[in-house]
Amino acid sequence: MSVLKRYLLLRRSDALGMGSLVVLVLLLPHFAGNDYYLNLMILALLYAGLASSWNIVGGIAGQFSLGHTAFFGIGAYTSTLLFNYAGVTPWLGMLAGGVISVVFAWLIAYPAFRMRGVFFGMTTLAFGETVRILLIYSRKHVELPYGLSINFKPGLFNMVFEDRWSYAYLAGAYLFVVLVVAMMLSRGYTGFYLRALRDNEDAAEAAGVPVRAYKLLAFVVSAFLTSIGGTLMAQYVMYIEPGTVFTISFSVDLALMTILGGVGTLAGPVIGALIALPLREFLVEAFGNAGAGTHQLVYGLLLVVVVVLLPQGLKGGFTSLRLRLASQRKPAAQQDASLPPGDSR
Amino acid sequence: MQTVLQLLVSGILLGGVYALAAVGLNLIFGVAKVVNFAHGEFLMLGMYAGYWLMVKTGINPYYGAPMIGAAFFVLGVLFYAGLMRFTIYKPEMTQVFATLGLGIALQNLALLMWSADYRTIQVLPAASESVSAFGLTLSTNRLIGFGFAAALVSGVLLFMRSTFLGRAIEAVSQDLVAARLMGVDPNKVFVVTFGIGIALTGIAGAVLVPSFYAFPTVGSFFVLVAFVVVVLGGLGSMTGTILGGLILGVVESVAGFLSPDLKEATHFVLLILLLAARPHGILGVKGAEKEALK
Repeated sequence: MSVLKRYLLLRRSDALGMGSLVVLVLLLPHFAGNDYYLNLMILALLYAGLASSWNIVGGIAGQFSLGHTAFFGIGAYTSTLLFNYAGVTPWLGMLAGGVISVVFAWLIAYPAFRMRGVFFGMTTLAFGETVRILLIYSRKHVELPYGLSINFKPGLFNMVFEDRWSYAYLAGAYLFVVLVVAMMLSRGYTGFYLRALRDNEDAAEAAGVPVRAYKLLAFVVSAFLTSIGGTLMAQYVMYIEPGTVFTISFSVDLALMTILGGVGTLAGPVIGALIALPLREFLVEAFGNAGAGTHQLVYGLLLVVVVVLLPQGLKGGFTSLRLRLASQRKPAAQQDASLPPGDSR
Repeated sequence: MQTVLQLLVSGILLGGVYALAAVGLNLIFGVAKVVNFAHGEFLMLGMYAGYWLMVKTGINPYYGAPMIGAAFFVLGVLFYAGLMRFTIYKPEMTQVFATLGLGIALQNLALLMWSADYRTIQVLPAASESVSAFGLTLSTNRLIGFGFAAALVSGVLLFMRSTFLGRAIEAVSQDLVAARLMGVDPNKVFVVTFGIGIALTGIAGAVLVPSFYAFPTVGSFFVLVAFVVVVLGGLGSMTGTILGGLILGVVESVAGFLSPDLKEATHFVLLILLLAARPHGILGVKGAEKEALK
């Protein structure tokens, strides 16, 4: 306990962020008003958790995975298949999916970590597609409908709830767990190792960082958490099919939300998801009548503008703005401004 | 025996199509070290350009290719001047997401303007859609596509080897800093490279439209194929593009014969296996996949 207390005293902003998140998740469902907003909020929280999971490997470790849809889909499929065909509770199915995802992540890491940057991304992207094709192919040999529905039998054991509040709390709890794990990985020496290998892999290796082991650690943890998110999403939507859980655009979405908020920071993916999802809904409403595709067109252009103008995301933009204001007020605080923006320390 | 030969030949012709789809991507990557995730969307625009040229004016896209090439050269210059210029020295993540965002926008622009209908055109009279030789059946459209791939790649190679500008481009692709010290203006080189790269992509799209359907999201299929071809053949290697296309085409054609459902997966399995064994591709320079990305 004293360790935790000391830590929290040392890192006031972490404690503040986590505390406000808990309060937000506990209170917000009551102010959501109607199901539309509550639904949006649940999705935003789930995506915030998923994007934060992606951020562990994609942001903190800088390994740009575009194949996270594979882990998401494995999580969704494992728990649903176990529940529908063997009656296993999704609480266990969730963990089973996580373990399978970890095994897959470990397998694909061997070829993928031979590549860096965009090519790592392309390898993982190919991996995600392969899993989808194999799943569709498996239907030739085993009885499996194209889409799977989860029966609506509410109960804690079935992880199916009648009211949306429970889902909001579940999604909030998921986000909280992911953030705690991400925080543990990004603080302390693990965080230094991961940031070192992100910024300059050769230098990190020369300095004695076990590069491969730590990349693998970030990847495997991220895969596990993404898989859990897949189960939760399946339990909320209650219907899954290869076309919705194994899709490249899902992998891209996670990365995009993280970029929007701020890559490699803890708050970034959360901010990104909490902005991107409502923004998309808003664009659908605003441009829904202007012809198919208009809202996506605007969304794409907005992304381009944000990425080019704020490469460190909204969090990075905010941090550099704050630093600039602070240095105007107190010229003595110059060395503060030399910290790279977007790096949450 | 006959079947094996037929599979091989169809595979080679399909490989020509794949090489064609990848050549612009590889050029831009080789010189500017930018992986253009909007590549598939430019190809899609090329397909629509070929389609509308034929429908509105009756000009066959094979003859109209130079026109489309010129138009797409301008588009490529605008692409660089309007967007990529601001990202070229930024982290690659910025480049990836700027081009991804542009891709989403272009895809939906196409959806908005031309709806989600599948469109194709018949360029050749039905009787000459395929030719037979030595008991093998060859698709004429694919043969022409193969010819275009060979012509475009050799054209680019010739340009790079024999003109001053081409040599400047080559120099930048080999070593940006050294080229700059020798007085090469990288900005000029990048403008021309993006122009040529997008022009090649536009022509490729126009040539593909008689044998593939054009629709707003067609790019996402071809961009994956193009990535696989580029990585297979070697990053930044023009001849590697042809080789990568041929290998992919033949493997896909054989795999499609053995197990039609797993045909799609062959691309990716091939890519993953190759990366595990030889990350720099078949004709690529060793270490290119790491050096290029810093």
